[in-house]
Amino acid sequence: MIEVQGLTKRYGPTVAVQDLSFTVTAGRVTGFLGPNGAGKSTTMRAILGLVRPSAGTTRVLGRPYRELDGPEKRVGALLETFDAHPGRSGRNHLRVLALAGGIPRSRVDEVLALVELGQAGRRRVKGYSLGMRQRLGLAAALLADPEVLVLDEPANGLDPQGIRWLRDSLRSLAAEGRTILVSSHVLAEVAQTVDDVVIIHRGRLVRQATIAEVEALAARATLVRSPDALRLVSLLTGAGVEATAVGEDRITAHAPTERVGEIAAAHGVVLHELTAERASLEEVFLELTGEPGERGG
Amino acid sequence: MMRIYAAELLKLRTLRGPWGFLIVSIGLAALFTAGSIGGTTEAARLEERYQFRLILDMAFPTGILSLLLGIILFTNEFRHGTIARTLLVVPRRWCLVVTKLVTGATSGTVLELAALGTSFVMAVIWLRALDIPLEGRDIADGAARSLVAVVLAGVLGAALGGAVHSQVGALVGALVWMFVVEPLCWVLLGLLSLDGVAEYLPAASLGGIIDTEDQGLPFAGSVGMTIAWIGLLFVLALLRTGRRDIT
Repeated sequence: MIEVQGLTKRYGPTVAVQDLSFTVTAGRVTGFLGPNGAGKSTTMRAILGLVRPSAGTTRVLGRPYRELDGPEKRVGALLETFDAHPGRSGRNHLRVLALAGGIPRSRVDEVLALVELGQAGRRRVKGYSLGMRQRLGLAAALLADPEVLVLDEPANGLDPQGIRWLRDSLRSLAAEGRTILVSSHVLAEVAQTVDDVVIIHRGRLVRQATIAEVEALAARATLVRSPDALRLVSLLTGAGVEATAVGEDRITAHAPTERVGEIAAAHGVVLHELTAERASLEEVFLELTGEPGERGG
Repeated sequence: MMRIYAAELLKLRTLRGPWGFLIVSIGLAALFTAGSIGGTTEAARLEERYQFRLILDMAFPTGILSLLLGIILFTNEFRHGTIARTLLVVPRRWCLVVTKLVTGATSGTVLELAALGTSFVMAVIWLRALDIPLEGRDIADGAARSLVAVVLAGVLGAALGGAVHSQVGALVGALVWMFVVEPLCWVLLGLLSLDGVAEYLPAASLGGIIDTEDQGLPFAGSVGMTIAWIGLLFVLALLRTGRRDIT
C-alpha cells in the first residue's frame, strides 16, 4: 500500500505539489495521471524518498521509504530520467543493483530475458535506444520481484509489443496482490491496464476514482433519428428525459440508449438510428484537468 | 553496509575510467622511478635516505590521481543521474557518504599498491644492476608514508565530491586550489610573516605526509591536519547530500 497524505512540495516560489492526498491499494493497478508539470514525478520521487516534502507525508508499506528495511527488495521503481551509467553494460548495471540489494546474481539474467534484453545486456548502455533504456529501467524495477511497483511513464519509448507486454505484466503482478502505481499523461494509454486512477493537475488532486467511474463520465447523450422526431421529443420530455430536436428527423436525448429505445417502442415510434454519443477518454481527461485543448505530458 | 561497499567497488570495476587511472598510475610510477634512478648521479644514489625519497617522490602523482578518482567516484552519480537509483538502494544518505569515503580509500590503496609494486620492482632490478644495496627500512618507511598519503587523498577526493556534487566544479576546483590558490596563499601569508599558517592548508597538510625535507608539519601533524580537512568536507558532504532533492 502507498499512502500520500497532505503532500506539499515547493521549489522556491514554485509550488509543484499542493496538499495532495491519495491511497494506492494492494492488488490493484493505479494510474497516476496528469498533464506535463502536474507534479506526478515530484510526487513519485517524494514517495521514494528522493524529494523531501515541504509538508505532509508519504508512506510505502506503512512507513516512509527511507525507514523501510531493505527497500530495494520491497519496492521496485522506474523513474522518468534514465539512471544507468552510459559507460556500463546493462547487465553490469543490474549486477551492481543486485549486489547492493543482496539479490541472487542469477536474477539479473532472468530479468534481462524477461524484458528481452538478453543479448543486448552485454552492450554498453550508451548504445541503447530509448526503448532499450526503458526496458533496462523496467528490469531494474523488477529485479527484486518487489511487493510495490512505482513506475513513472513506463510506456515511454516502448513499441506496441512492449506496451502490450507491460500491460499484461502489470495486470498479472497486480493479480498476485502487489501494489502498483503507474504514471502517464495519456489516460487512454493506461485505461486498459489500470483499476483506479488518481488525476492531478497543477499539483492538486482532481479526482481519485475507479476507471469504470471515469469511463462513465465519457457517456454523453443518445442520438436518435426518427421520421416521427417531434412526437418522440414530446414523449421523451413527458417521461422526464431532456430531449432536443436538432433537425427534421434528429433528436439528442440525455438518457441511455436503452431508456430512449424503450420509450419509443412503448409508443410505437419508428427509429432509424439510436446511437450512444461518447466522449473519448482523452476528452474526459482534459475536461477533468480543466484545460480543454491542452496536450498533456 | 558491506553489500553497498561491494557494489561500489563493482561500480568502479565495471567502468573503463578507473582502469585508466590504474594504468596511468603504474605508468607514472615507472616514469618517476626511472627518472629518479636514471637521472641521478651515482653519488646522489648513495646518499642517506635516497631510497626513502625515491619511493616518496612517486606518491605525488599517485596522490593526485587518487584525489581525482575519489572526486569522480562520488560526482559520477550526479553527472550521469545514477544517484537516484543509488539512493533507492541506499535511502539512508549518511550511509552512502560513508561508503563513498571508504571506497575512495580503497581506490587510493589499489592505485598506490600498483604504483609501489611497479616502483619497487624497477628499483630492485635497477639498483642491484648498479650494485647499490637495498635499504629495506627506508623503502618500507617511504612505502608506508606514501600509502597513507595516497589513501587519504582518495578519501579527501570522495569527501570533496560529496560536498560539491558537480564533477567539473570539483575537479577544476581541486586542481585550481592545489596549483593556484594555495601557492598564492603561501605567498600572501609569507608577506604577512604568517608562513606557519600555510602549513595547515589542505594541500600543504597532505603534501606534508610525503615531505622528504621535513620543512612543514611533522608526519603525524600532517596526517592529523589532513584528517581534519577530510572531517570538514565529510560534514559538508553529509549536509549537502542529505538535504538535496534528487529531481
